[in-house]
Amino acid sequence: MRRKSLGRPYLTIVEELIKFVLSIFLLSVLVFTLSRLAPGDPLYAYYGDRVEKMSMEEQETARERLGLQESIPVQYVRWIKGAVRGDFGISYQYKRDVKEVIAGRLGNTLLLGGLGFIIIFVLALFLGLFCARREDQRADRVVCGIGTLTSCIPDFWLSLLLILVFSVWLRWLPGSGAYSVGAEGSLADRGRHLILPLSVVVLGHLWYYAYLVRNRLLEETRADYVLLARMKGLSGKQVLYRHCLRNALPSYLSMMAIAFPHILGGTYVAETVFSYPGIGTLAYESARYQDYNLLMVVSLLTGSMVILGNLAAKLLNGRIDPRMRLKTGAFKEEAERW
Amino acid sequence: MVKKRFPKLSLLMLTAIIAGCMACRYMMTKDPAYMDLANSSAAPCRAFLFGTDAMGRDIFSMIWYGGRISLLIGFLATLISTAVAVFVGSVSGYAPPWADDMIMRMTDLILSIPSLLLTVFLQAVLGGTGVYSLAVVIGLTGWMGMAKVVRTEVLQLKNTDYVLAARCLGGGFFHILCRHLAPNFVASILFMVVMNVRNAIVAESTLSFMGIGLPVEVISWGSMLSLSENALLSRSWWTILIPGAFLVTTLFCLTNLGNYMRRSVNKRHSNL
Repeated sequence: MRRKSLGRPYLTIVEELIKFVLSIFLLSVLVFTLSRLAPGDPLYAYYGDRVEKMSMEEQETARERLGLQESIPVQYVRWIKGAVRGDFGISYQYKRDVKEVIAGRLGNTLLLGGLGFIIIFVLALFLGLFCARREDQRADRVVCGIGTLTSCIPDFWLSLLLILVFSVWLRWLPGSGAYSVGAEGSLADRGRHLILPLSVVVLGHLWYYAYLVRNRLLEETRADYVLLARMKGLSGKQVLYRHCLRNALPSYLSMMAIAFPHILGGTYVAETVFSYPGIGTLAYESARYQDYNLLMVVSLLTGSMVILGNLAAKLLNGRIDPRMRLKTGAFKEEAERW
Repeated sequence: MVKKRFPKLSLLMLTAIIAGCMACRYMMTKDPAYMDLANSSAAPCRAFLFGTDAMGRDIFSMIWYGGRISLLIGFLATLISTAVAVFVGSVSGYAPPWADDMIMRMTDLILSIPSLLLTVFLQAVLGGTGVYSLAVVIGLTGWMGMAKVVRTEVLQLKNTDYVLAARCLGGGFFHILCRHLAPNFVASILFMVVMNVRNAIVAESTLSFMGIGLPVEVISWGSMLSLSENALLSRSWWTILIPGAFLVTTLFCLTNLGNYMRRSVNKRHSNL
């Protein structure tokens, strides 16, 4: 009995890995079929408007060359054969290896999304504690009101607003791109370009998580152990920080593991409005212009990040909070109900 | 227990906006689709209360006229997503564990497809970018979260005695769903339904803004904002701020209403 319980975590990891590979495979089949069934001509992605001037025969040969003539299953088998060897084909639009196209932009998105994630992670905890401490007092109400308002502003409009105020009216910050021409290496310049998109990413998500922390803590303050701790002579503040926070942290951490891919994926509206060269703009372009190979890699990348995030949350939960090992997935449902 | 205050002001403003849009015929001072090219990008003045956009259309009239479309899409999409969510969620919760697991895995898989791809695909399948097809697309991409909540509720409810009794009496799945399950989980998804209206309105405006939703000719709050890139260059702030302000106000009121309906966590006093 004892040995079995020791072996369990490793078994779970293997099990989860198999599930992960299976999900990614299914996702690739789904996206592959979906993208090819969607009408639209990938030749436009490759040749642009020149397609209209090409004769029927020329179009046929071009399709033949890109391997778009065969049936979808045949195309898929060829794609996956290349994919396992690390060959994802070329992007029709950029006429370069898909990996190169993505590698050039992944850093930008990771910088924007990663920084945004860290700021959200810290600020949400801080704001949640701040509000939970002053439940239903004026400060709490004001913060909640402002928070709800910011969570209601659509990302794209917030971006427009910030560009209008800070780069058109005040001329303080640049409104597009990731760096100025000729200043690619300058850190200060990158930073200046990052401020506005980063604010959009942070403001767009912050309150959702802060409110989650606040409500989770408030739920915790209703527990009986708080009464005991208060009787023991601890102040409300001490109880909140020492006991309630500690009990709320595991579910917060797993929440944030799930949030990571969402925040990373949530950068794409900001990227598009600010013409920030990242994965988001690539996802948008490739889906719109049938750049199949690029689309596949981008969707698999985002998909695997979502699945990995969920997995991390699950494992994290079992590790830090033994209570969760019994009720897997309970925290997720709890989170969705909030 | 701290009693939640009913958001009177939000309800009032929401009603005013909805009423204004419904009665847009009486609100409009000009024909919203008429392009008055002599007065394009005019600042707010007495003739054009909220100014005109780059195509010379009167923004004040467009707001009310376009609001109808935005709100219609919000409600229609929610109707669709709620129906799908209730169906998938209750089937999944009611089904044997292996089927339940499979349905939930599929839901997770759909969740991990980039929503943009799903939207573009669905739009292509349904053909064209009309108001109704956009509503269907948004509805079909927004049911997953609610389906999960419905499922958990059904999982708890299906073992109750009254459901068992209904089954023993020969009640079919849909009978049990409508008579016994739905009345019990309605309260817990009401909040999500309101939030879905909000999300659908956001989706419509974002998609239209990015050029994959409604075209500029079909007036909605989103398609009005799709001209804002030009507005930034010409510094005509009113074409950005005014439709956006209406949009945000509507969303804010909806959120306040939704939060009021959310099952209160404050059932007891804090022990702190």
